[in-house]
Amino acid sequence: MDTELLKGTLSLLILSLLSRKAMYGYQIAATVHADTDGAFQWREGSLYPALHKLEQAKLIAGEWEDTDAGRKRRYYRLTAKGRAALTEKTAAWAELCRAVNRVLEVSNGPA
Amino acid sequence: MDPLERYLDQVCRSIGGPRPLRDHVRQELREHLHDAAARHRAAGLSDEAAVAQALAEFGHPEQVRSELEATHGHRAMAVVIDTALRWKEGTMRAKWLWATGAHLGLALVIALEAAFITFLVVFIVPRFHKLMRDGIIDPAVLDEHGVSWMPAYLNSLSTVAGGYTTWLVLGAAVLWGLFEWRVKSENKSLMRLAVMGGAAVKLLAVIVLATGSMLVSMMLAAPATGQMARPFAAEQVKAVDTAAEAVESAVAKPDWAAATEQADRASAALTRLTAGPALASLTGWEPPTTDDLRARVKEAQDHLRAVRQALDAKGTDRATAELAEFRKAFAPVREAARREGR
Repeated sequence: MDTELLKGTLSLLILSLLSRKAMYGYQIAATVHADTDGAFQWREGSLYPALHKLEQAKLIAGEWEDTDAGRKRRYYRLTAKGRAALTEKTAAWAELCRAVNRVLEVSNGPA
Repeated sequence: MDPLERYLDQVCRSIGGPRPLRDHVRQELREHLHDAAARHRAAGLSDEAAVAQALAEFGHPEQVRSELEATHGHRAMAVVIDTALRWKEGTMRAKWLWATGAHLGLALVIALEAAFITFLVVFIVPRFHKLMRDGIIDPAVLDEHGVSWMPAYLNSLSTVAGGYTTWLVLGAAVLWGLFEWRVKSENKSLMRLAVMGGAAVKLLAVIVLATGSMLVSMMLAAPATGQMARPFAAEQVKAVDTAAEAVESAVAKPDWAAATEQADRASAALTRLTAGPALASLTGWEPPTTDDLRARVKEAQDHLRAVRQALDAKGTDRATAELAEFRKAFAPVREAARREGR
């Protein structure tokens, strides 16, 4: 999939995934990979700047936790502000999809 | 260095913000890469290949760093260092050439310093000791506080370099061998250069202290050495006076040949008086100074030349008058020779 398309949707994907439960970075990347059957071919390093931007905007909050294996993971969870932003972004995304689909249907005919 | 940590260095070295934040970012990326590498290992890759695959999936360090900098800003100093490192990587592709050049340069410096120390110990320091034994450099001068360590240092240098050179060279060779054998660090070349640089500085310190000790000793002994010329100077002054009196007697007779011979003797004694430290040895802490005495001697020489011309012309009156002027000009020198020296 075009990585430029992914860039615009990365924030929405992160907020959406975190609405399920708190996750750490690698877990988010692995879930995206699993849920899309590997359709998103992205640089995993892009995930962290996006996470940190969302955290700076207080849409998500990160917290370090120790694991039983002696590792440390930074879990991110959605904030109230993030939940509102997710609702807003989801609606905007649905509207965008409908608009794009209408154009595609007119051009190509109904699927 | 671990490739994973090297990668994290490249990604995180210029991220802005406080240190705790930078440490958090680095830790977070490290955990992700460990997880990814573990997944690849579980899939059957070797450790090395698993880490390489995890890094490749994470993205090129420049891109990741650029995105993190866009979020957190960047540190100015890190950017400068990064630019310098890029320049280094660009220009020092033939690292071995630079390293070899540095090793050879330092080895040459050390060899030259060792050769100069050998020259000092074999040729110069023994001559210095001879000057001390002969009293040219008064050992009493070097007993003063602050300089007494200088002759002791020179003695120690002679003893060590003269009796322990073989052991020193052997010890250095053994240490070097152990270093080459046992040390496996990737910074071995830098460590070797640091040790060689340190050795070069220490040898330079030995040279500076040795030459400085000799120079200072000579300078301190110089006034005493100058005083050794005083008996010679006094002898020349006496010779001048004796010859001048003989000229007067010869003119009174008149015996022109004898007068001429004595005038020449006086002239020769005056010339000897102006050589070396003779005139300086006649001075004390009070005037006249060496320059004053030199001016008087020159004036006396001028009058003595006039005496000589008068003798050639057999002019008794003129010869007598010039002799009087000569005595007047020479009187301060005679007076200085009679006084106690410094």
